[in-house]
Amino acid sequence: MDFYLGLIQIIGVHTLLGLSAYCVLLTGQVSLAQAGFFAIGAYVAGILTVLAQWPLIPALAVAAVVSGAVACAVGFPALRVKGLMLVVATVAFGEAVRLFFFNFTYQIQAGVLHLGPHGAEGFRQIRYFPQHGWSTLDVALFIWTVVALVMAGLWWLDHSRIGAVLRAVGEDELAAQSVGINITAVKVSAMTVGGFIAGIGGGIFAHYTTHIEHAQFGVVLATFAIAYPILGGLSNVFGTLLAAVFIQGFLIEGLRFMGDWRNLLFGGLIVLAMNVRPRGLLDAGTTRALRRLFAPRKERSGA
Amino acid sequence: MRRLHAALAVLLAGSMLSLPGSALAQERTVKITGFGAKSGVVRVFGINSEAAMKAAAGEINSKGGITLGDGTKAKFAVDFLDDRCNAEEGISVVRRIASTDAFVAVGPTCSNVAESLFGILQKKVGDASDSGLQFPIIADVAAKGGLAKISEWAFRNVPSEFEMYKSLIAWVKKEHPDLKTMYGGVEKDFAHSNATYGVMKGQAEGAGLQVLGTSEWLLNDTTFSTQVRDMKRANADIVAISAHPFTTCGVLKEMARQGVKPKLLIGLTSSSSIETLQGCAKQAEGIIIPTSFAPVTPEAKLAAEQVAKFGGSADLHSAAAYEIMFILKDVIESQKIMAKPDTVQADRNKMRAGLAALKETKGLLGTVGRTADREAIKPYLYVHAKDGSWQVLHKPTL
Repeated sequence: MDFYLGLIQIIGVHTLLGLSAYCVLLTGQVSLAQAGFFAIGAYVAGILTVLAQWPLIPALAVAAVVSGAVACAVGFPALRVKGLMLVVATVAFGEAVRLFFFNFTYQIQAGVLHLGPHGAEGFRQIRYFPQHGWSTLDVALFIWTVVALVMAGLWWLDHSRIGAVLRAVGEDELAAQSVGINITAVKVSAMTVGGFIAGIGGGIFAHYTTHIEHAQFGVVLATFAIAYPILGGLSNVFGTLLAAVFIQGFLIEGLRFMGDWRNLLFGGLIVLAMNVRPRGLLDAGTTRALRRLFAPRKERSGA
Repeated sequence: MRRLHAALAVLLAGSMLSLPGSALAQERTVKITGFGAKSGVVRVFGINSEAAMKAAAGEINSKGGITLGDGTKAKFAVDFLDDRCNAEEGISVVRRIASTDAFVAVGPTCSNVAESLFGILQKKVGDASDSGLQFPIIADVAAKGGLAKISEWAFRNVPSEFEMYKSLIAWVKKEHPDLKTMYGGVEKDFAHSNATYGVMKGQAEGAGLQVLGTSEWLLNDTTFSTQVRDMKRANADIVAISAHPFTTCGVLKEMARQGVKPKLLIGLTSSSSIETLQGCAKQAEGIIIPTSFAPVTPEAKLAAEQVAKFGGSADLHSAAAYEIMFILKDVIESQKIMAKPDTVQADRNKMRAGLAALKETKGLLGTVGRTADREAIKPYLYVHAKDGSWQVLHKPTL
């Protein structure tokens, strides 16, 4: 059972990472900076619980605010460029963050141990969950409560005027601008919200892996971050969740029994999924079909 | 109907008679699961560990197997899971193993995975306030110093690189008093290489060698011209490279291309492997590496042959995996482990207690000491690359 609960934790954290990229993708921007915001969240939350002995929730809140603030600051210059240039700019930012933590050392003496980030060797002993007696089930429930809150928030955002504005910018910037939408403000806001969510995800990630190091937050993680919403579809937040389940639950964990063949199949199945479902696993058409299926008969008949 | 009954009775009797008496009781199997990197740049370590575990299991099984706590005999079976040198996957793999009847796991390959894994284990045995996983893990490859300190459920059978490089640098100073300067090269993003370079550098400075500088590169790097140019400019007597075979070979080839010829070359323990010779035997000629394995004893020769039969190569890491299987056999027998589904947690506790109680174990090069913090003190020697093979250069008195 613990294995499945552990897997549920991983899927939850990766869903948060995917949702952070989802916000930015709604505005039509491809950001590979999410791994950087995730790293900031991981280190900030880890430092607060391990070195400052803070409780987890305030630590996660601060991690989210710091990541969001950095995302906002990065958003202004980065979002002046578009398309491939933005991809390059955000990769550069992600790498700068990674290299910062590669060189960042801040340790304190705690008995015989030195605690805190130690450059390339990483940051160990982020053991808030086991130290405070959290069972695997408790951690899974906590993570999914956070995921549910974030998804509910984004769902509301998506169905509000703000969501319409985000999608309008994503569909056609020029048209959106011509009706008086402040494009820069919208894009930077989306980046900030994305950074905030990535910060929460990173903070939780640090605590369930207990050890973090720069190498975990590289381009591969950034690629996964945008792969979730793209593969899942941008029609609603559940696409990202579905993609996280598909990649983490099926491709990585489900195919583990295949040994060396797993890695070959991994890439092949993603390509296949994207060809079969070019607008995402849960595109607008599927969402409409599901809604029709589950909607009450009265509603369906238009009464 | 009567005929049918008679036929069934004859069949049953025949099948019973055809079984030897001892086999009437079902032969039991104890599955030991290993895990490590079987993909990516360091995949060869996982492949070698799996081969070594299977070779050792074969050896043990051919000599009668293991005796369980209830007196029954059992055979070892080995399974091996790929964690892709990824901490999240490592945690998932161990949770998967711990959700079965397994009472121990062997691994991982990468120190960064071990850091995370050992972190999710209960830190102190019997601490009811700590909800960490209570499952013993014994590492064969993850070589970064001091990892077993993280949890009392964590054990390692890896050599102490601190002792090895301390001894090697002292030997170099004694044998080559004319060598005064050293230049370092480190695979900076790999925990093991990075930590060991700290040891090399510290020992060199402590021994009075002047460290002229350090070049850094990453595990996945393929070009090293800038780093080697700096190395060439320093013109040190000794070049110490703390990197795994893939980048060690890249650097050595670049050194040859740029004509960098130090008077002495020192390498990382993990590079005293067949991969280095396959990748750059010519350029590696003369490199000195301390290692806890070389086929110099009858046991070590046999192990190397057996591991090769399973498609692996015996080196200091896979030899540790080979030794671990024998350690597990001894602990299963001494702790009277039952290996039954209803005794899983008790078996895990016994395995942990048995491993913690070990003062010494039998290693392929001789007796291996065990420390209070669950690490190994392994015999070692210095090898150097000569004529396309690793040859023993010196066996220090320990």
